[in-house]
Amino acid sequence: MSFFLDLIVSAILLGCTYTLVAIGFSLFFGVMDVVVFCCGDIAIFGTFAILGSYTIMQGLGVIQSWPLLFIILSLLVIGAVICALLGLFTYRLSIKPFERTSALMPLLSTIAMGIVIKEVIGLFFMPATNGLSRLFAGANAVTVVSGRNPQGFPSLLSLGGSTDVRDAIIVAVTIGILLLLFIFLNKTKAGLAMQAISQNKELSMMTGINVHRSIILTFVIGGVILAIGGFLLGNYQTVMSFDNGAMFGVKGFSAAVVGGLRNTWGAILGGMLLAFVEVFISGYVGTAYSSIVAFIVVVIFIIFKPEGIIGEKTVEKV
Amino acid sequence: MKKTSIWFLLLIAVLTLSVVLAACGGAEEPAGTEEPAGTEEPAESSVPEVVKIGFFAPITGSNAAEGSAARNAFQMAIDEANASGEFPYEIQLIIVDDQSTESVAVSGANQIVSDPLAVAASGFWNSGPAAAASEVFKDAEIPLLIWGAIRESLTSPENYPYITRSAPTDKQENKPLAEKVLDEMGYKDWFIVSDTSSYGQGNLAAFTDELAARSITALGTETVQEDATDFSAVVAKIKDSGAKAVYCGSTVNIGSLLKEQLYSAGVTDILYCGISGMKTTDFFKIGAKAAEGALVVSPGIILEDSPEGQAFIEAYNTAGYSEPIGAYTPYAYEAALIILNALRACGDAPTPEAMVDAILNSETTGIMGTTTFNEIGQTTNVAAYLNVAQDGAWVPLEDSEYAAGARTFGGQ
Repeated sequence: MSFFLDLIVSAILLGCTYTLVAIGFSLFFGVMDVVVFCCGDIAIFGTFAILGSYTIMQGLGVIQSWPLLFIILSLLVIGAVICALLGLFTYRLSIKPFERTSALMPLLSTIAMGIVIKEVIGLFFMPATNGLSRLFAGANAVTVVSGRNPQGFPSLLSLGGSTDVRDAIIVAVTIGILLLLFIFLNKTKAGLAMQAISQNKELSMMTGINVHRSIILTFVIGGVILAIGGFLLGNYQTVMSFDNGAMFGVKGFSAAVVGGLRNTWGAILGGMLLAFVEVFISGYVGTAYSSIVAFIVVVIFIIFKPEGIIGEKTVEKV
Repeated sequence: MKKTSIWFLLLIAVLTLSVVLAACGGAEEPAGTEEPAGTEEPAESSVPEVVKIGFFAPITGSNAAEGSAARNAFQMAIDEANASGEFPYEIQLIIVDDQSTESVAVSGANQIVSDPLAVAASGFWNSGPAAAASEVFKDAEIPLLIWGAIRESLTSPENYPYITRSAPTDKQENKPLAEKVLDEMGYKDWFIVSDTSSYGQGNLAAFTDELAARSITALGTETVQEDATDFSAVVAKIKDSGAKAVYCGSTVNIGSLLKEQLYSAGVTDILYCGISGMKTTDFFKIGAKAAEGALVVSPGIILEDSPEGQAFIEAYNTAGYSEPIGAYTPYAYEAALIILNALRACGDAPTPEAMVDAILNSETTGIMGTTTFNEIGQTTNVAAYLNVAQDGAWVPLEDSEYAAGARTFGGQ
């Protein structure tokens, strides 16, 4: 494969991981009108929850005896449930109390929540995993060393040792999630309600939409998508660190802004654009410049096209 | 879009950039210090009850494996000294987790120099934090013995006599690796990867100098950010360059991820070599297959080959530390022995002034031979050996199946 095609494949894979986090940002911003800055940390929490569960399952002998597909699905369910709960916890603790305040308050509180999530992983991943592992598996327990060291993530998607298969699965799963999200948002009552709230919260309340229930549902769905994003990132990157969330979140947020913060499809475009800029700058200029150029692109978008690539311009009459 | 929204998004962009810059420079967190309970003021009698030694290492973060093992070894030597009853005072450690970050190192250094009981310090696996903290120790005229940071300029006439180093420099480490892979194995088509840290830049310069001395020009050179995790573009460049060998002058985080991503991309018929920063057990978190065949230089001697080294390994393992011995763990132990030797030379009431001379003039025979210091405070005891990743573990090259001819390096 040529150098150019290699870069395209790399950019698509990176774009998939950015896209899933960007969708989390877009969903939350669309329904709540707030930037939930800890999306990246929630995703990494999911990665470590899956990794911890895998370690416990190793001690129980499950990994050796269960079919691979069943193991992957079990881990995804565990990660999704934990991230959905963490999403709800984030909403209850760092967004709901600031509903009637300036938009800066939830922004700052979710930044703080991101730091809390990161440190919780660093401090408690090892004792929690090892404690549960010993509780369930006794003498056969498999343990981890430190939560602040980089952790190897099992290559569950590299079927037969092929990373081509892994890469194909990452793209396929991302497309699958996007399709499911499209169907949910456009073909179900709950999804249409979420879109209505995104367009006009007050009017939605007047028409009888249960806004509170939609917000809860948004955080559950967002948490699940972030957990899957964390799982795919773990498989792609193979070694994860507890503090990966900040940069992952920043990239996801930037993608959402470039695409159009309120628009789910914009998140896809933004994620891909950011990934392509990064990878091609790395390839043709130098890796050290990739993040700088990517964020300059973000700033240019904010100045000249603040509504994003496919966001709608809003006009305020005075 | 409303004007206020534009300003709001710009504000977020500024916040975003600040997060990126913070991530590039490392987290700015307060120094994590572990200080045993003890007396806070010097004893009024001539013999103090407590003498304190500062110790720095990255105990958390991506370099935690090396830093924690070094902390264990240093603590082990001090515990042995205290248990021996040889010293008329208790030696206490002020342990600083520098998190491989300059600001945290400086904060910890300030804490140590402000402690009236502190007479010396030892530390650092990363050159950036070592350089930053060196200024604090020089100003306070308290000796700092570096056990693991290898940037050449750390020991210099400007830093003399307060800053000494018992570890080799980046040039001293790269030289035996270059002699092996360039002169003996004959690789000529190179791709060089390093990171933006001073460690990465020092190694880049050292290995590039070795190539230049042999009239070899690298096919490509790439410098990546310290927190980079995606090297797909670098891998594509390496593939495209036609390189037969890759040199990685970085630490384990970048070194292992790059090796894994090369392996995943099918770039296996290539020599992958690097510096001691990669020689930790964390390298194998990418899996034994992906790690296989990586060649790294390690400072010091093969511990198993000497009775003193074997005794150290046995004592370390008996102590039950969870972190295995890393490339610089013996150097941290040696640094403790040098400081203990200096304390002995200072008699019953050591002071920072006396410790400066005592360290410079010390002659310490430890597990890796006899250490003395030259005219700029650099150790004269220089040794290094090569290791290869074989079946999920680091094996001295001379004992490996690669040396025996049962396995071969890529790119030959």
